[in-house]
Amino acid sequence: MLDIANKVLEYASGREVEQAEAYVSRSRSTSIRVYRREVDELLSNSGSGVGIRVISGGSAGYAYTSDLSDEGLARAAAEAIDNAAVTAPDEFTGLPSPATEFAGLDLYNDKLQQTPVGEKIELARSVEAAALDYDRRVAQVEQAAYSESQAEVAIANTLGFARSYRETSCYAFTMAIALQDGEMQTGVSFTTGREPGQLDGRACGREAAAKAVSLLGASQCESMTCPVVMDPFVTAGLIGVIGSALTGESVQKQRSLFAGLESRQVAGTGFSLVDDGIHPEGLASAPFDGEGVPTQQTPLIKNGVLQGFLYDTYSGRKDGCASTGNGIRGSYSAIPHVGPNNLRVQGGEGSRDDIIASVEKGFFVSEVSGIHSGANAVSGDFSVGAAGHLIESGKLTVPVREVTIAGDILSMLKAIETVGDDCRWIPFGGSIHAPTVLVGKMTVSGR
Amino acid sequence: MLLEKRMVERVIALALDKGADFAEVYAERRVSTALSLEDGKLEKSSSGLDLGASVRAIKDRSTSFVSTDSLEEEPLLEAARLAGEGAADGGGRAHALGGGEVIARHFIRVPPASVAAAAKVELLTAADGAARAVGTEIIQATIGYNDTCSEVMVANSDGCFVTEERTRVRLVARVVAVREGLMQTGYDSVGAHKGMELFREQDPSAVGETAAKKALTMLDSRPAPSGKMAVVMHRGFGGVLFHEACGHGLEADAVEKGASVFADKIGERVASELVTLVDDGSIVGEWGSNAIDDEGVPTGRNVLIEAGILRGYMYDRLRARNAGVESTGNGRRQSFRHPPIPRMTNTFILDGASSVPEVFASTDSGFYAKTLSGGQVDPATGDFVFGVSEGYMIEAGRVTYPLRGATLIGNGPAVLKNVDMVADDFEMNIGVCGKDGQGVPAGSGQPTLRILDLTVGGTEV
Repeated sequence: MLDIANKVLEYASGREVEQAEAYVSRSRSTSIRVYRREVDELLSNSGSGVGIRVISGGSAGYAYTSDLSDEGLARAAAEAIDNAAVTAPDEFTGLPSPATEFAGLDLYNDKLQQTPVGEKIELARSVEAAALDYDRRVAQVEQAAYSESQAEVAIANTLGFARSYRETSCYAFTMAIALQDGEMQTGVSFTTGREPGQLDGRACGREAAAKAVSLLGASQCESMTCPVVMDPFVTAGLIGVIGSALTGESVQKQRSLFAGLESRQVAGTGFSLVDDGIHPEGLASAPFDGEGVPTQQTPLIKNGVLQGFLYDTYSGRKDGCASTGNGIRGSYSAIPHVGPNNLRVQGGEGSRDDIIASVEKGFFVSEVSGIHSGANAVSGDFSVGAAGHLIESGKLTVPVREVTIAGDILSMLKAIETVGDDCRWIPFGGSIHAPTVLVGKMTVSGR
Repeated sequence: MLLEKRMVERVIALALDKGADFAEVYAERRVSTALSLEDGKLEKSSSGLDLGASVRAIKDRSTSFVSTDSLEEEPLLEAARLAGEGAADGGGRAHALGGGEVIARHFIRVPPASVAAAAKVELLTAADGAARAVGTEIIQATIGYNDTCSEVMVANSDGCFVTEERTRVRLVARVVAVREGLMQTGYDSVGAHKGMELFREQDPSAVGETAAKKALTMLDSRPAPSGKMAVVMHRGFGGVLFHEACGHGLEADAVEKGASVFADKIGERVASELVTLVDDGSIVGEWGSNAIDDEGVPTGRNVLIEAGILRGYMYDRLRARNAGVESTGNGRRQSFRHPPIPRMTNTFILDGASSVPEVFASTDSGFYAKTLSGGQVDPATGDFVFGVSEGYMIEAGRVTYPLRGATLIGNGPAVLKNVDMVADDFEMNIGVCGKDGQGVPAGSGQPTLRILDLTVGGTEV
């Protein structure tokens, strides 16, 4: 793959190009979906491509192609140079100088490939079975799926950087449907790992079933302002939203609600957040980012105080600081941008049950919906759909659905009173390690 | 032709060889351009090529799908072999392929490839300038432009063998306004299954100006209220409410598993008699339109709900086969790397008999949802949410002041029955719909209409 990258650099030189970079990726993925014990769908994708960046006349231009023939690469390189001609020259544009030290990460597990397909199908079946066996009211499992991918990424640039890494990942996902007196409720769960042996299919199925069953009989509660306890899924949704506002780029471009708040209290004192690009369990971990810069641990919020922001090479130069290894390249066809790797909330003290027990009257939220449309990381407005249970005298009581929880994001962060010790990895909307939290006051809208 | 007929025949034959009862080849070549302007200057310019194919083999209800990013015979035969093994023992036979017709319904007047990059940059500059001219409060404008031209080919063991060329252009503006520490955003976009002629019909600067005015208006907003009230939905993208509230529940994959509140309800009253809901992928030039769907089936006008009575679901080939009906032309996929699933195209509510002034005048107190930021639904329960990026208070029949931070939440079947006024100012709008990890262009539309007793989720109790 580095050969392909080097070939691209050759094609991109020779004309008026100051710097060039080639990002090559190759991946193979399989996903299996089971319905009523039968294999409903077996998908297999393999693909590779190259993303090219050139700096010409002080301007950056991008191009990509999935055609890795010599002609395909030459054409894409020429396009990148043409594209640089229309962008504005910028003194901060440029590639990072090559680093030499990288975290030793174990991202590739042979067992993924060695495990026979039959065992993977059995795993998906076990998820479905566990959900169905959990409770007789679980009428069916709409989806029980196993999915895996192996990928290799190589980056080379004209400053002399040339490295690659490979990784494996897999997950099982399920959505269970509980039925009672004509009323349906759903629950989802998943389990992730680097090879199928690390997945707990039974726990996945049981959790989805438990969520669906627990919401049977749910209805709207009255509108109120009260303490809200967020399940790790829900906390992760909130953290995912603030992730984009914690970049140096969004501050520079005046679209971050955290602009100008460095060293200020932005969250409850028990709340600390780190972007951890080198955590062994983080699915977004990698030795280097999409520009070849080593990933690292970057403190963002410590004991509620804003520590700093995430940078790629360009936004770092603009602020006179180094890249934090957050130049994200989602795929060869995506233009690089600044974003979080793995966002990790530091676990606090107390279990989920302890936190619920500490609330006299409140709302425990186990599910949220509409995060992408109801949370605005620029204005800080936050209003999303929610389902869960009322908390009365420290205990979960009536199931609730069709309500919203709302507030402004900074007030919500500041109102975080307790952070639980039950952090878990949530792969939705990023790779986020989040616990149960108690937010002292939010608006719940219902009847 | 992306693939030569003889080669397609060999690929289909091999996919059927192990006993699948249906086999399909889908090939695609897609060229895209993307430009983005921020801080008043053109920051990013990218272009690219994606090409590849997938082979799908079906045996009874079991699908096996293999994709490869090549259009060469060898990798395609390998994909066919793998897909065929995954769906064995069906005993399907290949019918003779058709002639490989090019299905053309969209005539592209100005292909994006014929326009110089500098002329495209002017569109972004115009939108940016118009946004910044709206007021000194406008501190940021992010303008994005993209065009895609794709050629798709579908061939299957039933003899289908067709090709379509598809061209889409889109311009979007995101604007930030600030006053006294309050930061608000505005968004607007235009797009169509058309070439650059779209920007002769629709002024690019209007996109920037509209987004900026929304952001500016929201600077005067008060926090939204909470609780149940009458909600007036503005025409156009208000249609996303019906996309979420019932559209997804009428897609046949959810229906066939009983995981939809609308399963087994054909012929029953599911909505107010004022509601007629249509999905139509055949409207020339619309954002969600194609001449054929991604399984080679001609798109068409499908009445889903007629005067409140449920008339039909949206099918792809597989779900239609399972149900013993014909595909409705709703089999869509994001790319050759994704299997087709039942999807909406352009989904909309037809005009009613009320006038817009009547709708407001008869609303004593309520919430006016003018611009929405998208939503989400659980088809099994029908529970949906969607964000309101521009909302207003209605008092004594008049729109009074702007409101921020509201999400509407409700239950699809309940909301459909609570539509009590439908006006006559129909308009379409564009978006990208996500389902099962696949994004496809989808249009939605409606006239201004009113829903009784919808929950507004704001911060003021």
